[in-house]
Amino acid sequence: MSPIVQAVSTRALQALLTAWVLATLCFAFVHALPGDTALRIAAARVGEDRVTAETADRIRREEGLDRPIVVQYGDWIARLAVADLGRSLVSRRPVTDDLAYHGRFTLGLGAIGWLLSYAVALPIGVLAGFRPEGWVDRLSTAVSVGIASLPSFLVGIGLISLFALTLRWLPPAGFRTGAHMVLPAVTLALGLAAFSIRIIRNAVVEVRSAFYMTFARIKGLGVRQAFRSHGVRNAAIPVATFAALQFAYVVDGFVVIETLFNYPGLGELLVKALLARDVPVIMGAGLMIGLLYAAANLIADLVCLTLDPRRAAQAAA
Amino acid sequence: MTAPSVTLGRPRARRFPSASLALVGAMTALAAVGPFLVATDPNAQDLLRVLEPASWAQPLGTDHLGRDVLARVVHGAPRSLGIALLCVLAASGVGVALGLAAAYGTRLADAVIMRLSDLMLAFPGILLALLLSGFLGGGIVPMLIGIKLTLWPQFARMARAVAIGVLQEPHVEAAELAGFSKHVILARHVLPPVLRQTMTLTTLGLGSAVMSISALGFLGLGLQPPTPEWGAMINELLPYLSEAPAQMAAPCLAIFLAVLGFTLAGQAVADETVRSESAP
Repeated sequence: MSPIVQAVSTRALQALLTAWVLATLCFAFVHALPGDTALRIAAARVGEDRVTAETADRIRREEGLDRPIVVQYGDWIARLAVADLGRSLVSRRPVTDDLAYHGRFTLGLGAIGWLLSYAVALPIGVLAGFRPEGWVDRLSTAVSVGIASLPSFLVGIGLISLFALTLRWLPPAGFRTGAHMVLPAVTLALGLAAFSIRIIRNAVVEVRSAFYMTFARIKGLGVRQAFRSHGVRNAAIPVATFAALQFAYVVDGFVVIETLFNYPGLGELLVKALLARDVPVIMGAGLMIGLLYAAANLIADLVCLTLDPRRAAQAAA
Repeated sequence: MTAPSVTLGRPRARRFPSASLALVGAMTALAAVGPFLVATDPNAQDLLRVLEPASWAQPLGTDHLGRDVLARVVHGAPRSLGIALLCVLAASGVGVALGLAAAYGTRLADAVIMRLSDLMLAFPGILLALLLSGFLGGGIVPMLIGIKLTLWPQFARMARAVAIGVLQEPHVEAAELAGFSKHVILARHVLPPVLRQTMTLTTLGLGSAVMSISALGFLGLGLQPPTPEWGAMINELLPYLSEAPAQMAAPCLAIFLAVLGFTLAGQAVADETVRSESAP
């Protein structure tokens, strides 16, 4: 089996498993909670104080809650398999519509934040790697350890107090214009760069002290040329691997950042649905985030395989 | 290749980095004795004195309900740090036990445990804790389970890898030939190196658990108000950020110092482990 096919099939299997576990977890939670499920759905729909026995009975019949649990579970999975996620208990809109709308915002924020982080981390990391223990290296290490010790919402709160409340350059939260995207994207980028700067620095240091670099210098190449023709590609392998892995980390980070900035992405959708106990939306958003994570991991695998043919050969053997 | 260095006289004592020790020590002290020293009730409201700046009576000012911010930060410490400790101890206990079972047990057990940990790693970190807390209502137990579930696979993998390495070493073979039982070998020869190696994960895990707990609190899905937990405090104070920046800074700084302490200590422990491995 070619390594690419293998990577794709492993990740596809992972995505399926994630989806199944999430679906089962949601189903189990809904049915295992103490109390009457129909009553709870009725409360979410019409409000706690207006629930009557009749509404609960009607919902029980409508949603088929009076059937055996195994049948309900089978039905739940079968509907999922055809991407029927149902409607939101609160807004009554189809969940897939909500996901499509909010997903766009999340993808945009994730891509911009990720690109921004490497625009910052690459030059700093390379500079630090060329002068290990130099001032760029020391300063960037100290700053990245500091930022890595801050949960993303604290970085965000710091940026809001400085740029939105004190300097008044940017809007603090919400989403109407492109300017609303700056602070969330910078928050995300700083969190990512705090880790990638070290990886880039170490990759550069490693390549600089490798035997083939010494050989290239003995051969008579200048420092710059040796690095250009022998160093860059070798240093790129760990960096690109990590960069792709961080794509998966973005999936983890945006939930908190979107909530802080009131940015209409998937994470915000999930948190709001969790607070409102809107099960179909929770389920849909959770599923979507899980699938994004699996997709990001797949991209990471493919990047490694393309950049490093040795790994592909190893995997094939 | 460098020549092996020859040390004359006593080797220089290695100092454990003091900054991380001081931070971790200060945080532990804050959590352990702080609540006894600051007697003010962290939940006592005084609606006539809301969002007041720092004074002698309230060194960090009051929040939007007139509660003493210093008392809330100090009383929040045992919650934020204590729950983090519980999470990590539970995760390392379960992880190490499963990792050893995978290394020691049958092939089937190994395969099942390792696939389980793969499955857990297929979830984006905070998602499970979020879903659990969301469904079960914010409290300590869902948070504990959620964070433990995301942390244990690392421990299991490391414990398994170390145990498999140790089991192949000659001194273990000798112990087997000498007739020691499996349990004795496990306790004497396998467990100590496994625990030494997982120390780094434990320390770093404390930092990430503090972050996850505060993130859940911040999202409104962790410990519920009026509990003085750092993340929940930040969530409550966020609307008053421009009027009361100092009150907001207190819990933020507490989280930052705690995570920084555990991160630095984790790195120091990792360096120490590498050094003691490479030492003859």
